[in-house]
Amino acid sequence: MAEAAAVVAESLAGYRARAARAVLEQVVLPGEELLLPGQEDGEGPGSAGERPLRLNAGARSGGRVVCGPGLRRCGDRLLVTKCGRLRHKEPGSGNGGGVYWVDSQQKRYVPVKGDHVIGIVTAKSGDIFKVDVGGSEPASLSYLSFEGATKRNRPNVQVGDLIYGQFVVANKDMEPEMVCIDSCGRANGMGVIGQDGLLFKVTLGLIRRLLAPDCEILQEVGKLYPLEIVFGMNGRIWVKAKTIQQTLILANILEACEHMTADQRKQIFSRLAES
Amino acid sequence: MAGLELLSDQGYRVDGRRAGELRKIQARMGVFAQADGSAYIEQGNTKALAVVYGPHEIRGSRARALPDRALVNCQYSSATFSTGERKRRPHGDRKSCEMGLQLRQTFEAAVLTQLHPRSQIDIYVQVLQADGGTYAACVNAATLAVLDAGIPMRDFVCACSAGFVDGTALADLSHVEEAAGGPQLALALLPSSGQIALLEMDARLHEDQLEQVLETAAQAARDVHTLLDRVVRQHVQEASILLGD
Repeated sequence: MAEAAAVVAESLAGYRARAARAVLEQVVLPGEELLLPGQEDGEGPGSAGERPLRLNAGARSGGRVVCGPGLRRCGDRLLVTKCGRLRHKEPGSGNGGGVYWVDSQQKRYVPVKGDHVIGIVTAKSGDIFKVDVGGSEPASLSYLSFEGATKRNRPNVQVGDLIYGQFVVANKDMEPEMVCIDSCGRANGMGVIGQDGLLFKVTLGLIRRLLAPDCEILQEVGKLYPLEIVFGMNGRIWVKAKTIQQTLILANILEACEHMTADQRKQIFSRLAES
Repeated sequence: MAGLELLSDQGYRVDGRRAGELRKIQARMGVFAQADGSAYIEQGNTKALAVVYGPHEIRGSRARALPDRALVNCQYSSATFSTGERKRRPHGDRKSCEMGLQLRQTFEAAVLTQLHPRSQIDIYVQVLQADGGTYAACVNAATLAVLDAGIPMRDFVCACSAGFVDGTALADLSHVEEAAGGPQLALALLPSSGQIALLEMDARLHEDQLEQVLETAAQAARDVHTLLDRVVRQHVQEASILLGD
């Protein structure tokens, strides 16, 4: 039995690793193995023992490489754990390396430190609020982490309120923690979101797309009606326009953007601008 | 096995396939908007639907939470109209519970559960039409659903069944071949590393023949992987085109 299993394992091990540079912007799937620029010249990580010694072997010529979401280091192998497009960002300093990550289309949010999110207050207990952010655990939010809040001057936060805040603690072993102030103690747009408006959910991919610096969708939406809009990295969007009708139109457009090509979107926007 | 010839002298099976040939596979990802991940698969006449929720908070008692990894909760059910004879209860019977446990074992091996401690991942699979190889269809559907949900995995899981008739190993058994009562092996494979996530066999088989059957099942699972790989690539490509890449 064990022998037979070993035969199967042996015959399958020949899955070739591909160079990360060669598959940039292409779709990668879990189980695939990638080679970093520093490893391409060798025969892959397996033959590390036979590689000629180099003087600068310690400092790899490729520079420091950071593996983002969807990639996993296993020894000196780089494995893919999510399906999506492989992306790469050159480092600021310019000498090789940079950041590699997999851009995947998912709906479930996993808290990341520094992300701005929209949460819903679900409970008040003592001096912390519990905030639902759509992750696997509610985040905690101290009443002191609002602009101008002191022990005597408590912020007015009720259960059910929407909070726009930022994660200061987010790792897999601890409860995530949010704040509504930046490092200087300023609100900087964060805090409790006003009474009216509409909250809805979209996929995380669309949110990232909308928050990209040169997003066409947002510019086109902005031309349509004057509006207030908040994007949470957890896939939540809060929008408010002058009338309820305009708010609903905006929400429907943004939701539909997920299933429209650029041309279809342009048609819709031009039709709305006429009416 | 009165009179039924499962493998003809020319090497063809009852439905006209060769010994190592798969049935036609068609799959779709992202079939539900509400779930975090979903997929539908047809392997011949076997049809299965898988839905994934998670990683989310532990439902029910918090005592079930694991401090170092996520809890994988699998539920199998087969529709009352899935078999020739109408079923009474769609889920909760012994067979469904066993299948749920097997799916759980398979996906605990494949999903990187240590990345989401104290949380829960739900995988619900429903068989809409059962025509042999339900376990394999469930695993393949659930893999696609987990991928759709974006849950980190060590590797793709691909499953296939195999049987043994007249000295020949048959891949991807249909209902007729299963009902004949020969040995039947279900294999879930992590194709790129070649590791086995689950191996199960009904009935007796001589040890000498195990290797042949196992190799047939593994080859079939790799073929399934090639097909599913194509489905996933196409799905991701379509989704990213819509987002304007």
